[in-house]
Amino acid sequence: MNKISVVLPTRAYAIQLAVLGVFLVGALWLVTSLMGQGLLPLASALSAVVVFLTLTYVRRQFTPLRWLAGGIALAMLFTLYPLFYTVYLSMTNMGSGHLMAKQQAITRLESETYLSEGGLTYRWAAFQSDDGAYALWLTDADGVGSFALPGVPLGTPPSSVGALDTDGIPDSVDGYTRLPTNQTVPIIAQLSQIDFGQPPEAVRVRSLREAAALQPKYRYDAAQDAILDLETDTLYRPIEGTFTSESGETLNIGYIEFIGLRHFENFLGNEGFRQPLLGMLVWNIAFALGSVIFSFILGLVVTLLFDDLPGKRIIRALLIIPWPIPVLISILIWRSMLNPDLGFVAPILESLFGSSPSWFQNTTWTRIGVIMVNVWLSYPYFYVITAGAIRSIPAEIYDAAVVDGAGSWNKLRHITLPLLLRVMMPLLIASFTFNFNNFNVIYIFNYGNPPMPNTIVPMGYTDILISFVYRLAFTTSNVTDYGLAASITVLLFLLVSVLVVFQMRITRNFGEANA
Amino acid sequence: MKKFVSLFVLVAMLAVSLTVSAQDSELTIWIYDDGRLEVLTELGAAFEAEYGVPVTVQVVDLSEIRNAMTLGAASGEGPDMIIIPHDNLGPIVENGAALPIDLGDIAENYLPSALDGFTYDGQLYGVPLAVENIGFFRNVDLVPEAPATWDEVAEIGTELLDNGDIDSVIGLPDLTYNSYPLFTAFGGYIFGRDEAGNYTPEDIGMNSEGMVAALTWVEGLIEDGLISENIDWEAAHVQFETGRSAFILTGPWAINRFETAGVNYEITAFPAAEEGGEAGYPFLGVQGIVINANKPNAILAEVFAVDFLANEENYQMIFDAEPRPSAWASIFESATDPDTAGFNAAGINAVPMPSIPAMGYVWDAWVNAGALVAQGELSPQEALDVAVEQILAQVEE
Repeated sequence: MNKISVVLPTRAYAIQLAVLGVFLVGALWLVTSLMGQGLLPLASALSAVVVFLTLTYVRRQFTPLRWLAGGIALAMLFTLYPLFYTVYLSMTNMGSGHLMAKQQAITRLESETYLSEGGLTYRWAAFQSDDGAYALWLTDADGVGSFALPGVPLGTPPSSVGALDTDGIPDSVDGYTRLPTNQTVPIIAQLSQIDFGQPPEAVRVRSLREAAALQPKYRYDAAQDAILDLETDTLYRPIEGTFTSESGETLNIGYIEFIGLRHFENFLGNEGFRQPLLGMLVWNIAFALGSVIFSFILGLVVTLLFDDLPGKRIIRALLIIPWPIPVLISILIWRSMLNPDLGFVAPILESLFGSSPSWFQNTTWTRIGVIMVNVWLSYPYFYVITAGAIRSIPAEIYDAAVVDGAGSWNKLRHITLPLLLRVMMPLLIASFTFNFNNFNVIYIFNYGNPPMPNTIVPMGYTDILISFVYRLAFTTSNVTDYGLAASITVLLFLLVSVLVVFQMRITRNFGEANA
Repeated sequence: MKKFVSLFVLVAMLAVSLTVSAQDSELTIWIYDDGRLEVLTELGAAFEAEYGVPVTVQVVDLSEIRNAMTLGAASGEGPDMIIIPHDNLGPIVENGAALPIDLGDIAENYLPSALDGFTYDGQLYGVPLAVENIGFFRNVDLVPEAPATWDEVAEIGTELLDNGDIDSVIGLPDLTYNSYPLFTAFGGYIFGRDEAGNYTPEDIGMNSEGMVAALTWVEGLIEDGLISENIDWEAAHVQFETGRSAFILTGPWAINRFETAGVNYEITAFPAAEEGGEAGYPFLGVQGIVINANKPNAILAEVFAVDFLANEENYQMIFDAEPRPSAWASIFESATDPDTAGFNAAGINAVPMPSIPAMGYVWDAWVNAGALVAQGELSPQEALDVAVEQILAQVEE
């Protein structure tokens, strides 16, 4: 018995060590491969997580942390890292044409080739020796054939050539056997990496139909930190992540460059941007507040009206219907109902009032419409919550109030509302924060339109900050400016943080006032 | 337990990155609409039978394809080949992810305009499969003869409207892509082209005289109550298919619903600005295969897309599977059904939609300009001037 109790921990310890070792080796490999691709931010975040996890394993004083280690590691990777990465992105020019790290861009450029003027092109056939080495039979434009081996100068005559076919290609040469097309195609990617002949005259496979004396097009000169175009002898120096020649020509492939606070300066320093942005912020807050307040009131009214009716189960079921319907579909249904040409709302309003508002063109009506739809979507939530919360108010308080001569209004005003709000306040605040970034309703209802006139980038009157970021970064289908979008996201993050701090203060005050 | 979970996550990440970096002879094609899924899978199977290289065809969202070929391509991820509308080509080329393609002698079998669409900076980057343009649809029961000018369109429409036969003269699904023939009829353009036919972002024609004239014509229709101020895709189509509008500018995708609705339509060339003037022309969309230059198998993909696929027999197969006008000239010309003939007549002078990155900034600004005019907020000239400012501000950004 004693023996076992001694052996087990040791074996467990050995297993632990082995697992840790495998983990560290794997992590090291992952980190180095990420660094090799120039993904430094991700590599450093991952290293931090690995160091942290290892410490909790090996250091005795960190042992209690082990219970949290998984959670903390995940939080670091999936919450903190994206946050810092967004901040980092906001200070880069990442976007179309600047998507790679510098090293990746250089590697890509250095892999490009060109056919020099007078460079020869050939038709080709592949040959393979018994030990798997490859060779080519090249036929030039005049129909003259030659045999090419890697590392052997072109034009070296082979010692034995087999029987020629109708195209003048032999079936075997010097122990190399000709590969038929269907065996050539699967290995064509490997073939295309081999230099046949001796550089710089070497020939490479370029396509199934052609092999050519290709030269590398670009070389990176580390001393000058510049790319040299070997074909035209032009020097391209990096300017903000773009390789640019003296005459202003640029190479297509650029890299991600740190540009500091320029995005922020650009849009905050521009009057044509700041002014509408301020208006957008005001509307954003109004939208969130309006949605919360009206849906709470509607939820409360419904609770008060229907809670004592017979058949309330059915009524309640009907009222909750908006809830389980996917938001996307509800909004689209509203959109078509309000459509001035097809929807049924317009004719009804017209017959009642003689005119019908322009729900998608007129600023005020679009704003009313979008809040209306949002209220319709969210009141069932408040209905369910208030219906539950109201029941928790003790009946004795109402009885006492009735004794004191309170009517329905006074009961509501002095008992129900204060007690209800105390329970509801955190939910209202959470709902406000949610609606502050409620992209779905805004974007699906009218894409943030109607448009504002005279802005330097397209903006809409119902755009909230998040839909504006989306518009800026992703709807311009051909262009993606991640840096700019990230910088606005950072701004948004700061704004929401301020709001959250503010809200927490309110909540606390409220809690204390009622305590 | 948690630490094992986190270990597991890391090991899983490791495994994923290992599989991603593994390379073998296999080709993947991402397509954005499933109409060609079956026929391409069939062709892929034929390729495998001949060369032993499996070809996988997957339907992927177009935006996903764009991401994979820009962001993803930088790290060597993404598919070997994609099928895209040519106007998505610009950013892919600008990020170095498109393989230059040499069609050699096969090139002369293609429609020149189709090759034009996939040519960027004078270099071909795609193997065109099909072309597509919108046409001028007319309700034959309401209007027996096709009008020759846009003013005639308005006159005929006014008469029908006064009789209560229709609610809207013409269906304009938007004031951008679908209305482009209207803009071009009045002499408008988006970007100028240099001698080689490349679009030049320096020459923005957005607020040129022709664009303003066309938008003024639309403004007139709205003011006279001939069309709704609510420019809406769905409304335009519904009104046409219920016989409540006489004309619509739309593309092949609408044919199915018009046929189902039983509307008696004809597709013709677009009207001109004035009698004897040049007919308006639409944008030409070209769909084709682009090869991911960042993949080790790029050259193998070229064998599939060019040497294996590009022949009349295969293009006929593709056309039969999904009847969009083929980019293969002889198949394009042999299409005889009236709809295709109508689209071809409408698109005879069609120009490839610009694929330069600056075009990405055009759409939103253009949509806004139309909406601002329709709302009566700005005059056509003002609205288009703002659009140009917005495009310039973003190009410089």
